[in-house]
Amino acid sequence: MIIEIEGLAKYYGEVKAVDGVSFSVEEGETFGLLGPNGAGKTTLMEVLCGLRRFDRGKVTINGFDLNKDSLKVRGMIGFCPQETLLYDLLNVRENLAFSASLYSLSSKKFKERLDFSSEVLGVGEFLNRRVQQLSGGMKRRANLASSLIHDPPIVILDEPTVGFDPTIKREFWDLLKNLKNYGKTVLLSTHDMYEADEICDRVAIMEKGKIAALDKPHVLKKTIGGEPSIHVKVKEPQVKRALAVLKEYNGRLVDSEIKILASNPWQTMSEVSNKLVSQGIFTDKIEIVEPTLEDVFIKLSGRKLSEES
Amino acid sequence: MMNSVIGIAVKDVKTFFRERGTVFWTIAFPVMILLLFTAIFGREIPFNANIGIVDYQKDSVTAGVISGFNQTGLFTIQTFNNTAEALNELNAAKLRAVLTIPQNFTSDLSQAKANVSLVVDGTNPDVSRLIRDATKTFFSEYYKQFYYQIHGVNYTAPITVDEEVAVVGQQIGYKENIVPGMLTYPLLFSSMVVSTGAIVFEREKGTLKKIRAAPIPPINMLLGKTLAAMLQTAISIFIMATLAYVLLGPKLTWNIPLLIPIFFLGSINGIALGLIISCIGRAPQEASNAATTIAIVLQFFTGMYFPIEYLPTFMQQMGRFIPVTYAAQALRDIMIRNATITDLLLPMGTLTGSAVILYAVGILLYRRWVEK
Repeated sequence: MIIEIEGLAKYYGEVKAVDGVSFSVEEGETFGLLGPNGAGKTTLMEVLCGLRRFDRGKVTINGFDLNKDSLKVRGMIGFCPQETLLYDLLNVRENLAFSASLYSLSSKKFKERLDFSSEVLGVGEFLNRRVQQLSGGMKRRANLASSLIHDPPIVILDEPTVGFDPTIKREFWDLLKNLKNYGKTVLLSTHDMYEADEICDRVAIMEKGKIAALDKPHVLKKTIGGEPSIHVKVKEPQVKRALAVLKEYNGRLVDSEIKILASNPWQTMSEVSNKLVSQGIFTDKIEIVEPTLEDVFIKLSGRKLSEES
Repeated sequence: MMNSVIGIAVKDVKTFFRERGTVFWTIAFPVMILLLFTAIFGREIPFNANIGIVDYQKDSVTAGVISGFNQTGLFTIQTFNNTAEALNELNAAKLRAVLTIPQNFTSDLSQAKANVSLVVDGTNPDVSRLIRDATKTFFSEYYKQFYYQIHGVNYTAPITVDEEVAVVGQQIGYKENIVPGMLTYPLLFSSMVVSTGAIVFEREKGTLKKIRAAPIPPINMLLGKTLAAMLQTAISIFIMATLAYVLLGPKLTWNIPLLIPIFFLGSINGIALGLIISCIGRAPQEASNAATTIAIVLQFFTGMYFPIEYLPTFMQQMGRFIPVTYAAQALRDIMIRNATITDLLLPMGTLTGSAVILYAVGILLYRRWVEK
């Protein structure tokens, strides 16, 4: 295990930001901390990066105790917080050179890493542009390049895609997935369930400073998220009639769609479709929706993750 | 239009009042300045200089003279056994003047032809003028009263103040006096203000996280910031010194090999103080207000704008604990008195020691406030 956390706690007065958290991360794994704002994700990550002291527990990174070998541990981690930690008046190359200096990289190693940043992270095209002239996506890529400049085995990313539009978000996910090919262990926090589902090997769901559930996304969805559902969309004037027709399936109207839980989704979808057609109700859309991590969070906390965040 | 103006103003006012440190320094600034000015200029006698007295007569009459001199409140008096010893102290800038009362003073006095000799440090025209005028006035007035008490009639011929000798051979003018003081300015303002922004702005922008997440100890951070601030301070000093040389053309000794270490040590102290403020400051505005207030207060102790003899004695004593005072004095000593390296050992040692202490405090505060 490259990261081992036992009973970690961090308090701010009466507030238990992180409250007895234990988990471990395997080398080369992409591990997600999923939870709403205020769940303790950022505090936990900042503790791991040595940015905050913790009150209780033990953290071992690559065999080194975080408390005893803080400087060694910091050298093994590339930290990429949600804000862009670049200097606007410097160009990207200068920013990367500054980051390299913090880790005492030789000129040769810096050049190698610059090549990596250009080829793998795609910063080559704007290396000589000042940060203030970059787009949001470029800044995030440069930010990630800055965190990876010293070739750390562990990369910690706090809400890496918050505020991204869908296209840039997907580009960034590809970048993160590609890091696995370079042997990086990735620990990321997010409140985006799709992000966690898409790129994480395992996910820990955090709620009020504690880990409420931890497993592979598909296992969480299967064991906690519940049954798949059939989503049916019909024309507005026919909604009431459709609900009456599907009464035996306990259909509920959610966001202008009728949702029906189904343990045997394919069979149920076929039955529902036939019943509606036989009553002269035509569907705009009918689909099977598997439970999401959002459903897992709702089951665990009784609240919607998207609304919390 | 009006709404947005008011909205912006309300937002700024609320922000101001919610930054407690900024509010504190905003209030502290006028309070400290007012207290300082009151302490300096609110006194009946806004002047106090160190003066040495050599009394070769040593009788009750001269004891009365010294006592009367002391009672003027203008001087802090040190007595010496011989003139050479007193002049040594004068040349070491520990005294501003030496007054010698000759052996036959009392007998000459009874014959109304007494004299004393006065040697004044001429490196500060204002101070030397005040000492000369005050001494002449004292002897004139004191002996009028003395003679009346003895003889019951008014005494008309005052005691002659014989000599007025400047320590430095050449005439020291206003320009020569003000330039070393001006060069102290960057040591306080440039160095402190630049370094004050160093950490607090990184924290505000978030980039401090990047630095703190790296495997570097606090001293590396502080030294890196020091080097950058040092360069900016050096630019200020260079520009100021060049302009002073070209535009004012003062007749001063530009002993560069001695000036550089003093500028270096003075800057280091200013920068360290700025870094301490930067560690504590929670917002850039708060840190900036603190630095400005502290720099303005400290400048009174440097003799930058007026001689430190204008300060009350307790403030002159306080000045001994302020590093920039030593830098300011050392600059004057080099440029006006042609001081040598041996003359500068005390200020250099003091500045080095204070820098070490300030950096140690800086590291402690960095750990306490920044790495919490």
